[in-house]
Amino acid sequence: MTTTAASPEAGAQEALPSRPRRGAGLLRHVNLPGIAFLAVLVVLWELVVRGGLLDFQFLPAPTEVLDGAQSLIEGGELWSAVLHTALVAVGGWILASTLGAVVGIALGLSPALWRWTASSIELLRSFPSITFVPLAVLLLGFSYKMELVVVIYASQWPVLVNTMDGVRGVSPGLRDVTRTLGMSRLRSLRTVILPAAASKMLVGLRLGLNLSLILAVAAEIVGNPQGLGYELVFEQQALQPGRMFAYFIAIGLLGMLLNALFQLAVRWLMPGVIAATDRKG
Amino acid sequence: MTSSTVSHGSTEAEPLAFECANLSVDVPADKQSRRLLDDLTFSIRQGEIISVIGTSGAGKTTLMRVLGGLMPVTPDSTALAAGEPIKGPPPRVLMVFQDYANSLLPWRTVKKNVALGLETTLRGRELDERIDEALSLVGLQHRAGEYPWKLSGGMQQRVQIARALALRPACLLMDEPFGALDAMTKSGLQDELLRLQEQTGATIVFITHDVEEAIYLGDRVIVLGGIPGRIEHILDVDLPRPRDQITTRENPEFLRLRHAAYESVLSSEQGSAAGGAGAGTGDR
Repeated sequence: MTTTAASPEAGAQEALPSRPRRGAGLLRHVNLPGIAFLAVLVVLWELVVRGGLLDFQFLPAPTEVLDGAQSLIEGGELWSAVLHTALVAVGGWILASTLGAVVGIALGLSPALWRWTASSIELLRSFPSITFVPLAVLLLGFSYKMELVVVIYASQWPVLVNTMDGVRGVSPGLRDVTRTLGMSRLRSLRTVILPAAASKMLVGLRLGLNLSLILAVAAEIVGNPQGLGYELVFEQQALQPGRMFAYFIAIGLLGMLLNALFQLAVRWLMPGVIAATDRKG
Repeated sequence: MTSSTVSHGSTEAEPLAFECANLSVDVPADKQSRRLLDDLTFSIRQGEIISVIGTSGAGKTTLMRVLGGLMPVTPDSTALAAGEPIKGPPPRVLMVFQDYANSLLPWRTVKKNVALGLETTLRGRELDERIDEALSLVGLQHRAGEYPWKLSGGMQQRVQIARALALRPACLLMDEPFGALDAMTKSGLQDELLRLQEQTGATIVFITHDVEEAIYLGDRVIVLGGIPGRIEHILDVDLPRPRDQITTRENPEFLRLRHAAYESVLSSEQGSAAGGAGAGTGDR
């Protein structure tokens, strides 16, 4: 099964075992053995904790986690935390993608611009983004703004780099075609170069989306007293393992949901690109 | 707008399709520049089919890129298209590339690929009609809605030709357009090209490494040779039209020309091998 616009890096985060294809019955694509195995693991977890085989003081059984989740849903904390983190991650990702795409296109088209900026970009990019969180806290304080800046900073890199690669990778033959057909530079960018670079750009967008959630949670753990990351640490320090694990699982589910929505949006918005990518894959 | 279908057989008043004198091309290399084409002088009449053959490295593709306005010449060169100096792609001169798969847009259907050069100037019915016209010239009107990568190589190359024809070109520059196709497809497309040329009266510059193809199609054959490339010979092809895959290729004149062309190519190859070794130039 080929994933559209998949990269080796993105493949690892492909937590969804099945993806409903258009026009096909949903049930047929549900990976039943995979789900059964997962269920067995959960039951085993329950048994191991209940039976005292694992002697951790604060390891909750799945039923405790469910209780925790229920209390959080009833109290409304879960929803507001999910909403906050999702908004920052998605909003930051959109801003970052715009920024990354624009800069990536410029760098892809202009070798001179790249020559001037390459060293700076390679240097900045080689820092793990997470190391910027304490810096951002110092500069911007414990705030929403700090979280957003961190998210944008981290998730624009993959978009920028992949867009640049994609634009640069457009075959010289295709550029010759635009010239012999007398297309203006702007038009050739819009109708030929960007679509040709689209599958690469999609890889960058997807990596960026994953990073935006990671960095949003990290920023909440370290700095911004809101959202899933903050609540996770709060429950940990309150010695509430059930509730803490509920947040933990909520973060994972949010990641899966964002990824799935992204796939759907791509299929819906760019069927032509997918057709062309599937052919190569 | 239908004036493109006339201009068969040039009159005195009409400018030549191409007129080149002392045409040289240099490209920047490590330290100094490297010469790709050296001192070519030739002209091409409107409606003529010119084949260009030569050893690899003799600058066939360079010559086509110069005529197509994709590559600059040295300041002392003269290169005119329809009487005007070539600066950028000349109007109504269109190139057709060998690598059809990389020349068509895979995310566009055949029809939308053919529309690529016209979309900004034509709309609606007018655009559709022009596309239909171009596609029926190459016999692909019934495949308009398909994606090009679903078609065979020969059909893809016909789509590329249709895309050029849709712009009603005065001249087609074709760089080994049938080089990647099998023999049967190739001979079919050769005849199709000759028929298209009859219908449209377009000038055709046809680059190939296939000596027989060059003679079969051409009114004249330019033989390039050496590194940098020079004109070794210009052969007049005095074969009757319409040409025929069987009888034309059995014509004694065809065989004589084939002999002369091969000889010319081979002698230039030996010459360039000796010259290349002596001058110590890179052989890329």
